[in-house]
Amino acid sequence: MTPCFRDSMDLVGWKGLMCLALDAMRWAERPPGMRDLFPAQARLRRNLEDWLIRFFEDRGFSLVSSGAFEYADTLQRGRVPAASEQWVQVFDRSGRPMALRPDMTPSVARMAAPLVAAGQVPIRWCYAERVYHRSDAPATLSWMSGRAAESTQVGVECIGETGVAADSQLLGLCLDALAGLRRAGVRMVISHALFVPALLELLGVPADDLEPLLALLTAGDYVAFRTESRRFVGEVDVLELLSALNPFQPHTLPDNLVRPESAASQRLQAAWRALCQLADAIRTSDHACAMVFDLSLHRDPSYYTGMVFEVFAPGAGAPIAQGGRYDHLLREFGAPAPALGFTFEVERLMTLFADEELIVQRGVVPC
Amino acid sequence: MLTIALAKGRTTDGVWPLLVAAGLPLPTALDETRALVFDVDADAATLQVDRMRYLLAKPADVPTYVQYGVADLGIVGKDILMEEPRDVSELVDLECACCRLCVAGRPEDELRPPRRVATKYPRLTDQYFRSQGTAVEIVPLSGSIELAAVIGLTDRIFDLVQTGATLRANGLKVFDTVSDVSARLIANRSSYHLQREAIRQVADALAAAVTRRRRG
Repeated sequence: MTPCFRDSMDLVGWKGLMCLALDAMRWAERPPGMRDLFPAQARLRRNLEDWLIRFFEDRGFSLVSSGAFEYADTLQRGRVPAASEQWVQVFDRSGRPMALRPDMTPSVARMAAPLVAAGQVPIRWCYAERVYHRSDAPATLSWMSGRAAESTQVGVECIGETGVAADSQLLGLCLDALAGLRRAGVRMVISHALFVPALLELLGVPADDLEPLLALLTAGDYVAFRTESRRFVGEVDVLELLSALNPFQPHTLPDNLVRPESAASQRLQAAWRALCQLADAIRTSDHACAMVFDLSLHRDPSYYTGMVFEVFAPGAGAPIAQGGRYDHLLREFGAPAPALGFTFEVERLMTLFADEELIVQRGVVPC
Repeated sequence: MLTIALAKGRTTDGVWPLLVAAGLPLPTALDETRALVFDVDADAATLQVDRMRYLLAKPADVPTYVQYGVADLGIVGKDILMEEPRDVSELVDLECACCRLCVAGRPEDELRPPRRVATKYPRLTDQYFRSQGTAVEIVPLSGSIELAAVIGLTDRIFDLVQTGATLRANGLKVFDTVSDVSARLIANRSSYHLQREAIRQVADALAAAVTRRRRG
């Protein structure tokens, strides 16, 4: 696709062109973290967005959209205060802090709350929007494997639906979409947002020390997690304990964690039961072999209350999809309702496609 | 196949005996060639993969290879991970290639307040001096940091010290030890889940070798 100037120009002309290309004074600059897409890549991204939206609409989700700015206090609902460090913040004309949305869930919750209050549930919405984070990393690196300054999310939110059937349907929807895109070798890693907090509390970690420990787990710093957790739990290797748990085999929960008198144990058992039910529900699904449980998976943001998951694919250095259940978030917006959702990270998904692969509406065909 | 990026030089030298002790399939003659990529056969029955690929990279680039996912695993000093936090999983403290991050300078400068600091670690230097309640000017350099103090460009250096021989040879002295650092096994977030079994085998073998070595 790229024209090869070398063939058509003599050496002097080629050198002249190089100097022109590197002449920073001559061309307008692009802010760090932003990335341009030229024809083939831009077409691929739009095709992916369109394909996913059409896929979700066919399954009963309605497309919604909202502005890129939200008030900071809207985004803050259900999250820990430190979350705002990751946002690009500005002030409106009255001096009230706003931020570019870091994901679509708060906007969807804000839009849905009045409808929930009016009894119009369930709500099944999908979206395809840009989201924003503060980032110092170069855009290409962060798109592939880190948190980009600007990226595209296509996702769904289901509000007003509870129960294990809704959970397993959502997981199936995500993997159906990837199967439709003919991406092979994907693996969905499932966990429960409340299991590890309850386990750590049960093992004797004081409430004040819970947050920093969970942050280490979210960051994948298992060395520091081991060292820090040992301060409270003695010789118990928490990571070892977690890796031995498999909700497909309910008996893998050790008996010594079942203590009727302990509130933390009650919460742990409730989370475990929910996971075992989920395992039962997905055992017979078409995608069972792509799903694994890993209870050491702990995810941001803090509003998750049930199952959480991330999806990985060979070729993408970071999750291509992620989501979970957040039953208390809508209450923060004034209308209590259970909810769950997930999103695809479109730029990471793009790394799984060659430029020349063109996606048509019903499948993926090489052009 | 499992790909491991090794930090060239001091880290690999320090970690090599541990890799041998862990029984990992290793390339022979790492030093004698100028090659940067080494493929070796592995026993699929124990390691879950039939090939291992080793990449030799500049230490600061190891986390980059791992974050992109072109290397599933990496072995690199904690100093690099502290200076530039990356989205990678840190699996095992290998407890070798140990060094200290130190503040050093000419003995005659020790009692004078710090004003200028030369370093390869601008972020950590800034954090350290701010924690001391001092504002210093940071001079980022990419190598031979000692030179800055010797010729008087700066009155302090913030650098990695292994034996202290280079400092002594240049008439410099450690003023403060900021942090102990050692080599770490890191993993790409995606590989960690997609190649879970193979990575677990490697991590467990290394952790066991570390434990054996600690018990001496």
